Amino acid sequence: MPAEEPNLFLLGSSHRVASLEEREKISLPADSIDDFYKGLQELPGLKESLVLNTCNRTEIYVSGNGSPPLDPVREYLMNFRGLDNAFLEKHTYRRQGEAVVKHALEVTSGIDSQMVGETEILGQVKDAYDDALNRESTGKVLNRVFQKSFQAAKWARTHTGISRGQVNLGNVICELARRIYGEMKDCRFLAVGSGEVAEMTVEAFSSRGSQAITITGRTFDWCPLSRNKPSELAEKVGGFTLGFDSFKESLHLFDVVLCSTAGTDPILPYETVRKAIAKRPARPLFLIDVSMPRDVDQSVSNLESVYLYNLDDVSSIANENLKSRQAEVAKCREALEQKAGQIWNQLLFPSKPPA
Amino acid sequence: MDFNDARTLLWIASTLYGGALLAGLALASKERKLPALVSFCLILFAYSSHTRGLYLRGLEVHGCPLGNGMERIQFILWSVVTGYLIMRILFRLNLLGSFAAGLAGVGGALSLLSPGLDSGYWLEPGYRRLFSGPWIELHASVAIFSYGLFALLAVVSVMYMVQQKSLQIKRTGALGAHLPSINQLETASQRLLLVGVIFLTASIVVGSMHWTRSPDSVSSVKLWVTIGLWIAYCGLWYLHFRQRLYGKKFAKACVALFVLAILSLGFVRSAPERQETAPQPSVEDAS
Repeated sequence: MPAEEPNLFLLGSSHRVASLEEREKISLPADSIDDFYKGLQELPGLKESLVLNTCNRTEIYVSGNGSPPLDPVREYLMNFRGLDNAFLEKHTYRRQGEAVVKHALEVTSGIDSQMVGETEILGQVKDAYDDALNRESTGKVLNRVFQKSFQAAKWARTHTGISRGQVNLGNVICELARRIYGEMKDCRFLAVGSGEVAEMTVEAFSSRGSQAITITGRTFDWCPLSRNKPSELAEKVGGFTLGFDSFKESLHLFDVVLCSTAGTDPILPYETVRKAIAKRPARPLFLIDVSMPRDVDQSVSNLESVYLYNLDDVSSIANENLKSRQAEVAKCREALEQKAGQIWNQLLFPSKPPA
Repeated sequence: MDFNDARTLLWIASTLYGGALLAGLALASKERKLPALVSFCLILFAYSSHTRGLYLRGLEVHGCPLGNGMERIQFILWSVVTGYLIMRILFRLNLLGSFAAGLAGVGGALSLLSPGLDSGYWLEPGYRRLFSGPWIELHASVAIFSYGLFALLAVVSVMYMVQQKSLQIKRTGALGAHLPSINQLETASQRLLLVGVIFLTASIVVGSMHWTRSPDSVSSVKLWVTIGLWIAYCGLWYLHFRQRLYGKKFAKACVALFVLAILSLGFVRSAPERQETAPQPSVEDAS
């Protein structure tokens, strides 16, 4: 039997038990984290603590002596956020011992995320851990749990398919463009229209190093919002704007063209695309049409070197990738459970070498 | 197992190439059980065994081993893998290694399985050496090396067609996602074609010096087949350079021309040099 069994507890709320509005009530505002930690560290019986506060989850990991310190933590959170007991009881979960280790591993690996396998959570957990380290609020128990969880996250991404394939529409379009052009920095991107998908895609291209992003769109002089939208989007990513009336003449200068206007007539008929491709016969042209009704004449897909995708095509790839990730979750969870068991044993018997 | 026997080493190489193909496919599959380095290491071990096997055969036949069908196929496959290893320095094309290893594994095994392809010509009485001079040997080996580059070009072209098809049918198959981009494959094809044409031209220049001295030593069929193939590859490069032929049609042309080049090998085979004591067929190069 271990000389002193480590106490490890978790109180948390995530998208699994709370809606966005409910999570907003529990979530800790960024400027209140300092105060929250100060009060937390003063709670009786609590030796170590770590707060993970993201848009999808608020979790408090604690380790202490003797009796379970979760009740004071819950009471403290309730008072700090001004919540009532029933609300917190309904929209939070508790874990203890080995289950906390398993949960930390699942969260860090991204299998507990809303978008299964997303990688952002690993960075968020690392930030939360660094923050806790700086505050000297972690000790041998939480240090071991989180350091091991980073290793487990890396293992899960490498050895299972939980992060395979893109699930965000902008990233799916980027991945398709990569399969055509390779490096994104050499890829010239034009967004015709500046809707939600265009914004998502522009950001995805920009984050991958694309340096030639151009935005054009139908604008109406009487409407300041419409007039400014392409410029605002271009400014956001350091791109350029192009007049809507003249973009067809410049079509041959672009590699990826995303059409997302709200017009009723096709803006890219067969002849326009054929003329553009004739000026650059050996370089492929990737057209994505996410408009309804469609902006690009469907017959352009018959042209050599033209790849035409519509919203259904891109969405079905994203859904396929998501299904593929979800299929890997059970396998990953099983492996993480074993790892959690090993980590917990190491915490119980620190002198025993790991298997 | 005799590790000083050329055939044993070539069998080991084929088996390891096969293993590299399977490792590459495992990487591309959803399971992804193996690290990328496994496939590359298998290719390196196979290549070492392949090189050693050809070297030992070269010692036996006293020249570059190009005297029978099995040797020519093995030399072409060795050139394919050499080309891949050089290209890997320029591009990170992991799956090209799997494709090249697959070709080398299957092609190598088939050539070793056919006893008729590996006649022991060097064991025949009166055999002296495979080539009548070092220039002919250089001509033959450079020509066969260019065939290896054209084989690799055909492999890259097949990869291009797979990637292009997978993009057109809008499916995210495991293979398409792991293949290099359309642009990278087309650039690789262009460079391989240029280097292959340069090697073939060099081989023809060296061979023509021998031909001008003794025109009877080269049959007219061989001459026309060689010139025809050279013109075809030069034409292909020109059409691609001028952007008259590109994309899928260019890839198809590369594969078709390689098939023709392989079929033409039957017309350009060599006969070994023998001692002067008995009348023997004239010495031809092996290109």
